[in-house]
Amino acid sequence: MSSTAATRTVVELNGVTRAYSRGGERIVVLDALDFAIEEGERVAIMGPSGSGKTTLLNLIGGLDKPELGSVRVAGEELTELTPPELARWRAGNVGIVFQGFNLIPVLSAQENVELPLLLAPLSRSERRAHAAHALELVGLADRASHRPGQLSGGQEQRVAIARAIVSDPTLILADEPTGDLDRASADSVMALLARLNEELGKTVIIVTHDPLAAASAQRSVHLDKGRWKSDGEGA
Amino acid sequence: MPIHLIFRNLVRHKLRTALTVGSLAIAVFLLCVLRALVVSLDAGVRNSTSDRLIVQSAVSLFVNLPASYVGKLKAVEGVDSVARLQWFGGYYQDPSSFFAQFGVDPEKFLGMYPEFKIVEGSRERFLTERTACIIGRQTADRYGFKVGDTVPIIGTIFQRLDGLPWEFQVAGIYELESIVWDETTIFFPFDYLEESLESGAASGPPGSGVIYIHLAEGVNPVNIAAEVDGLFENGPQRVQTTTEAEFNAQFVSMVGNIPFFVTTIGGGVLAAILLAVINTMLLAGREQRHDMGVLKALGFSDWAVFGVMLGQGVLLCVVGGALGIGLAQLSSPEIAKLLGTMFPGFEMTSEILTNACTLSLGIGLLSGALPAAATRKLLAVDAFRRGA
Ligand SMILES: Nc1ncnc2c1ncn2[C@@H]1O[C@H](COP(=O)(O)OP(=O)(O)OP(=O)(O)O)[C@@H](O)[C@H]1O
Ligand SMILES: [Mg+2]
Repeated sequence: MSSTAATRTVVELNGVTRAYSRGGERIVVLDALDFAIEEGERVAIMGPSGSGKTTLLNLIGGLDKPELGSVRVAGEELTELTPPELARWRAGNVGIVFQGFNLIPVLSAQENVELPLLLAPLSRSERRAHAAHALELVGLADRASHRPGQLSGGQEQRVAIARAIVSDPTLILADEPTGDLDRASADSVMALLARLNEELGKTVIIVTHDPLAAASAQRSVHLDKGRWKSDGEGA
Repeated sequence: MPIHLIFRNLVRHKLRTALTVGSLAIAVFLLCVLRALVVSLDAGVRNSTSDRLIVQSAVSLFVNLPASYVGKLKAVEGVDSVARLQWFGGYYQDPSSFFAQFGVDPEKFLGMYPEFKIVEGSRERFLTERTACIIGRQTADRYGFKVGDTVPIIGTIFQRLDGLPWEFQVAGIYELESIVWDETTIFFPFDYLEESLESGAASGPPGSGVIYIHLAEGVNPVNIAAEVDGLFENGPQRVQTTTEAEFNAQFVSMVGNIPFFVTTIGGGVLAAILLAVINTMLLAGREQRHDMGVLKALGFSDWAVFGVMLGQGVLLCVVGGALGIGLAQLSSPEIAKLLGTMFPGFEMTSEILTNACTLSLGIGLLSGALPAAATRKLLAVDAFRRGA
């Protein structure tokens, strides 16, 4: 096992099991999974639909809890936190780009990006400046006042990425960020995530179906029916 | 808490929000008017003073008191003056044009009712002329009666043997300083009625329906009432003496259950609007499920998300309620004019308006709390699942 690597380990899952019961039947989605990610890594998680990728990402992001095992992320044992503590932890440590639905339709791009900053002790003008900076990073400074309905799919995802990085988390989780996008848009989104990783030193975990996208990561792991497939245990 | 989401989500569906606010405004307006109707029915009771007592037959209001009672009542210590009052029960032109007529002892009656102000004509004529009358402002305006006119009233209980209507000359028009009576009634001298009966010129029951007592200053009305009741304990006609307030209250309950009826309608209106607003808010809650999931995933607390939903219900209802209350206040003088004789003293009191505020806020809290409670418990991961 790998918990004592030389570099700092940001994500460390040990024996994580997550199961759902459906109609009396128990379905094991993640089966005693181990996983470790070092600080500054860019990892792609691949696997067929229903293999448990979103479930795994939710556990790492502190949105869900396992039945068994430990989930240590950014120095915190998440399984020991209460829901309000988890909420506070999320606000400070992770930026999440969700699968599909991300932005709040009644808010402008700028306001969507400002949302996480409402949880930080910042003034209005500081919030504005931070959000504007994040939008600039994703190349959408000129779309700040647009509503999500007025943006293309790729632009929406880039706004979601801006929101994920605006509070300067160490860890960025992206669940199929290129899912519905054409090649060009998908490439620009992946390039953006790569830049955040390389230039800002963020640890980035990307769930994707797209082999090309996965190839741009430093390391890719394959999930199948809740277990790692031959080549890829995460440590 | 992202407060701007409250407002933004409401203006997102402009038509739906406008319709909900509109129906709320109408409902609150209606509730204010209905409430004011009930309150106006009680006006006679509220404005009563305790220095007036009313003696009536213990059997029924429709049994007259013998003429001899007047002298006996005057003799009671603490009684300042005594006035007879008789329900005439006639009509002008046709039975559907209803206003009350009473035979009274003019000087004594006006003496104990300083609230009556003779604003046109002559008080003196009313006190001295046998067939003079005074008319309330509303009836005078409604039928165009002027001072000096002759008002023919067709008797029903009291009929002239020559078959002609009774005729009263308008000596004056009165208005009321406070709602102790109404401004529709005609008062004429009781003596005229009594003489007509005694001389055989007319037929009808003798005596007077009730006798009003004005108390001397500082006298306890309860003691006098008990004493008067005791005076006629052994007949010939047992009496029941009440304060003016109690007396008027029995009329409110006689018009049957108007307060109950009106309150029931109000309850129906309230229930309907509550369900409508709850429906709107539940719909909003479902639509915003994803958004609330996003907020939670970003790290907003369950209570912050609760507040965003609750705030929408409250804002919706505060705006609708304010419109309804404003409408009620602005239109109440017009409504009072329209209702006129039926509901004297119709008034949009500040108490009614305050209650309407509280009610609007209550509807807002309740309708917002339902989706808010559901969103508070919602887990971000569930909100994101497709089809959820
Ligand atoms: N709340 C839940 N209740 C029951 N079953 C669930 C629940 N959430 C997920 N599952 C099941 O867990 C399994 C894994 O789901 P998950 O969303 O993690 O898959 P995924 O790998 O992200 O798939 P996709 O590529 O389609 O997004 C699926 O079979 C799914 O039906
Ligand atoms: Mg998924």
